This record gives sequence, structure tokens and C-alpha cells, in this order.
Amino acid sequence: MTRHNRILLSCFYWGFVAYVFVPLILMVTMGFKDSKFIGFPIKSWTLDWYASVFADSETISAFGYSVAIAVLSTLISVVVGTWIAVLLEGRKFWGRAAIFGMTVLPALIPGIISAIAFRIYARYLGIEPGMGAIVWSHAVHNVPFVVLVVMARLSTLPKSQIEAARDLGADPLIAFLRITFPYLVPAIMGASIFCLLLSFDDFVRSFFLGGYEPTLPVLIFAKLKSGMSPEINAIATVALILTAVIGVWAERFTRRMNKDS
Amino acid sequence: MANDPLVRLEGVTKRFGETTALDNLTLDIAQGEFVTFLGPSGCGKSTTLRILGGFEQPTAGRVLLRGEDVTRRPPEKRNVNMVFQDYALFPHMTVKQNIAFGLELKGMGKAEIARRQDEIMSFLELTAYGDRYPAQLSGGQRQRVALARALAPDPALLLLDEPLGALDAKLRGQVQQELKSIQRRTNKTFFFVTHDQEEALTMSDRIVVMNKGRVEQDGTPEELYFHPASRFVAEFIGETNLLTGELRGTEGDAVVMDWFGTTLRGHAPGGVPRAGAPITASVRLERLGFHAERPATANAVQGRVTGKTFLGSRMALDLTVEEAQGARLRAYVDADTGQSVGDAPVWIGWDQSSMAVLRD
Repeated sequence: MTRHNRILLSCFYWGFVAYVFVPLILMVTMGFKDSKFIGFPIKSWTLDWYASVFADSETISAFGYSVAIAVLSTLISVVVGTWIAVLLEGRKFWGRAAIFGMTVLPALIPGIISAIAFRIYARYLGIEPGMGAIVWSHAVHNVPFVVLVVMARLSTLPKSQIEAARDLGADPLIAFLRITFPYLVPAIMGASIFCLLLSFDDFVRSFFLGGYEPTLPVLIFAKLKSGMSPEINAIATVALILTAVIGVWAERFTRRMNKDS
Repeated sequence: MANDPLVRLEGVTKRFGETTALDNLTLDIAQGEFVTFLGPSGCGKSTTLRILGGFEQPTAGRVLLRGEDVTRRPPEKRNVNMVFQDYALFPHMTVKQNIAFGLELKGMGKAEIARRQDEIMSFLELTAYGDRYPAQLSGGQRQRVALARALAPDPALLLLDEPLGALDAKLRGQVQQELKSIQRRTNKTFFFVTHDQEEALTMSDRIVVMNKGRVEQDGTPEELYFHPASRFVAEFIGETNLLTGELRGTEGDAVVMDWFGTTLRGHAPGGVPRAGAPITASVRLERLGFHAERPATANAVQGRVTGKTFLGSRMALDLTVEEAQGARLRAYVDADTGQSVGDAPVWIGWDQSSMAVLRD
């Protein structure tokens, strides 16, 4: 019986692994196919698609645009999110629950709805579609993740740490800068990486709020409309490798920092 | 002002909602004293410490430091430092950086900070650990770093919040001696908070026993041990025999009580209780003497040994006193005396000053 269960479980497990990884492997493989049509059989292999990706100024500039948006929106959401987390954690005041709810809400609203809402609001405010609008919408969307991660870390900071700093002559601001902030760094780093990846990956908001310049996901979408080609697989593979490396590194980094303190 | 005590608490009261943590506490602490606040959890000892540190504001009353009112002053503006229960060392700073923290905030120059760091680290035997992080230190070393960090800015008063709780029993005894000797050598005023009566007895010049937000008794360890004022103090500190009887009256210094038909004479450190009501007296176990003949002590009864427990350096005897309706007593004697006592009735004697008639 237990033996059967074990076999059944391992079947489920490997089924799940296949479900997750087979599409990715197929996508990566097709990027090396020496033909314009995606599909088996693959008769010969080539790196030409990668060469054309790195030679294509449109792709390169879309990539740069996406990175710039990711960095800017992350900076904004980290500053705002940390500030809100510090304000909310461990304090009781009237309206705390309401502020917390409103802070977390953007993470729960479906992307398409918030994108349309942003589009309408941006027009109402007279904000032109483009980088500013995209950065703004990404920042708002990412703040909740920063708040949650930083609050979780903050709740593990012993109260005596701040009291000790105050006791030794630090006013509340110095105590924050020299004790609380260094303690939060691992959480802020983790949240930043997460925000960078979320922003880099975002399509819906970038599509609705973008101007003429496409972000990478928007560019891929445009290329898809004009027909599937292994070039798209090559672009996607590069993006996949970059995000996976950053993600794994960040995960290990934050885990190490957490262990240190 | 020269004649002001280092610390003066004037009618300090602290309420948390409905509960009164500290009830009208008035107390002076002199420069150079090692004062211990002793009591069970919730007795108000930690609240007192936090009020002195500036982490809590009293609901009523004033806190004076060298005659100056500091009641509303935040912690960073008081010349008082604290050793926290969990040490609260800064994990991202080395031992040296931890010690320098308070000095930097005092506005000291780099050279002066380095000099003071070296001084305090060699004083506490931490020189070899200057560049280590708290996570790389043992419990005892962390405790010394916490002490070094708190002493470095040269505070007028050092607060210690049960700093030995996290150490194992063997190390604790050693650290107790160390703390006491550090206090003597620096001539600093230590305000120590603990629920461990043994710790309090070992280290303190003066113990304030707290219960339910009030001072039960305030005195030297010897006074508290041998002359407890109340039943709470007698039971909280050490082991004791509690004798229940009725008050007969006073004869000069002596308080006369009736103990199941036997007349006993004691003294009343906490004031003479009301006549007629049942009262309790305390006699420490090692204050009972054993004699073959009726002794000349103020109190003498005949008893029979019903049990012996060997404790190594001494022996505990369980006794029954027939003339007091079979009341039981317990005594500590040296092992030789313990062995020589047989089944025959023996005389048990104790002095008037060995028996404290308790307040309640």
C-alpha cells in the first residue's frame, strides 16, 4: 500500500515537473532551429536567431526601456513601501486597518482593471502615455509587496534594539537610520528584486499606458502578431535566463543575510 | 546640589488601563549603591526600571536625578544606561562598534572613543574580541559586551534588567561575583532587577522587595533574611519556619505570642500587629539550636526528630513539637549534630532576635 502510494506520488511529482518545464524546454529548443517555422522535426541547428536578436536595435532598446522602467518603479515602490511599513508596524492608531487595506489592495485588483483605471485616470490628470505613466502604474502595483515583506521583517526586530539605541543617546531618527534600516536591508533587497522582476514581466499595464516606445513584453507581443518566428524564442530565452539568474541569486542572498542577523 | 541623593522617586505611580503596576513609590538611591529590586513578575520592579530609563512615563509622581526633574525626559537625554535582558547587542556591529555607539552619540572625538574603547574592553577582558560580531560570542561574552556598551558612556546610573537570566547556572554564579566586583571598582550606582532571591542576596548592598506595585521591605540582604517584615518577604527570600499563633502583647522590645499554648518571644521588624488577631512569626531553619538540657535562650521547646535529610555540607531535620499540638518545624544543622540526634526528645532553642513576628 505505502509502496503504491509512493509510486503514485512520484508519478504526480514528475508529471508536475514535466507540466512546468516541458513548455520552457520546447521554447528554448525552438530558438536554435535553423528554419522559419516552429515545430518538429528540427533538421539543423543555428545561433543565427540569437545573432539577429543582439543585432536588432529595436529589441535592444525595448530591453533597455524595460530595465529603466523596472529600476525607476522599484526605487519608488521601495521608498514608499518601506515608509508605509515602518508607519504601520507595531503601532496602533485610528485608521491603521484602513491604510493597510488600501495599501494592499493594488496587489489584488486584476491587472486589466487596474490598467484601464490607470489609463482613464492618467488622461483625466493630463499625463501623457509613456514612461512616466508606466513607471507610476508599476510602482503603485508593487508597493503592497514591499510593504508586506518589510513589515514581516520589521515584526521580528526586538523592541529592545531600538530601546538600546535610544538609551545610548540616539533620537528616534538616528535609531531608525543606524539600527532599524540596517536590519531591514535583506528584506528591502528581496522586495526590490521581486519588484524588478514584476515590472520587467508586466505586459498589461505597460500596454495600456505605453506610448510609441514598446517595453520588451509589448515588443514580443507585437512581433507575435506579425507571425511566430524562432527569433521570439531567442528573445524569450535571454529574458528567461536573466530573470532566473537574478531570482535565484536574490533568493540565496537574502537567505544568507537573514541568517547573519 | 551636593546633598541630593543620586536618584529620588517621589510618589511614582504607573497605571496601565485598569491595573496599577506601581503604586505611589517613594525612594532614594545613594551614589555608589548596588540596589536590587526583587519580586515576582508583575510586582512593579521592571516598571520602575523602565521609568528610570525613560521608556515609560509615570502616571503620577516625579523622578529626580541628582536633584533634577527628569520625569518627562526621553531616554537619549538621560545620563542613565541599561543592560537589557536579551542584551540587545546590535547584530550588524562588531563588539568595538557596539561600544562606540553611545560614545559617538555623545559627540566624542575619534581618538577619545578609541581610548575609551580600549579602556573598557581591557577592564572587562574583551580586548581579544573587539572585531567579532555578537553572533560569534558566547552567552557570557555577550553579557560582558552589553555591560561594556552601557558603562562606556560613563552613566550616573546603570540599570540592569535581569541580565543573568539567559546564562546557565554555573556561569551565573561566576558572573554574579564579577558584577559585584565591577560595581565596587567603578563605584557606579547599579540598579538591578531580578526575581531570583539568591542573586539578590549575593550581590546587593540593598534590596527592595516589591509586591503588587508596592514596597514590601527595603533593607540590607541580612536585614531582609533574618528580620523579614512581612510574610511575603519571609517566604520569598530563603526557606523559613512559619509559626502561627496569637499576639499576647509586648514587653519592652519583645513581642510575646502564644503558639498552641507555648509562649514565644520575638521581635517585629515590620511593626507590632494588632492584638488578638492570628499572627505569623518566621524563624530561619539554621537559627534553631539543639540542646540536651533546656537552653537559656528566649524560646525553648521540646521536640522529636521525625525525619533527616542529608544535604552534604549540612543536614535538614524535620521535627514535631508535641507541646504545641504536634506543630512541625524544620532545621538545618551540621552533619555531625544531625547524626548525633536520636529518637529521644531534644530541646530546641532560639533567640528573640531570631524570630520575626510578621506584619501580615
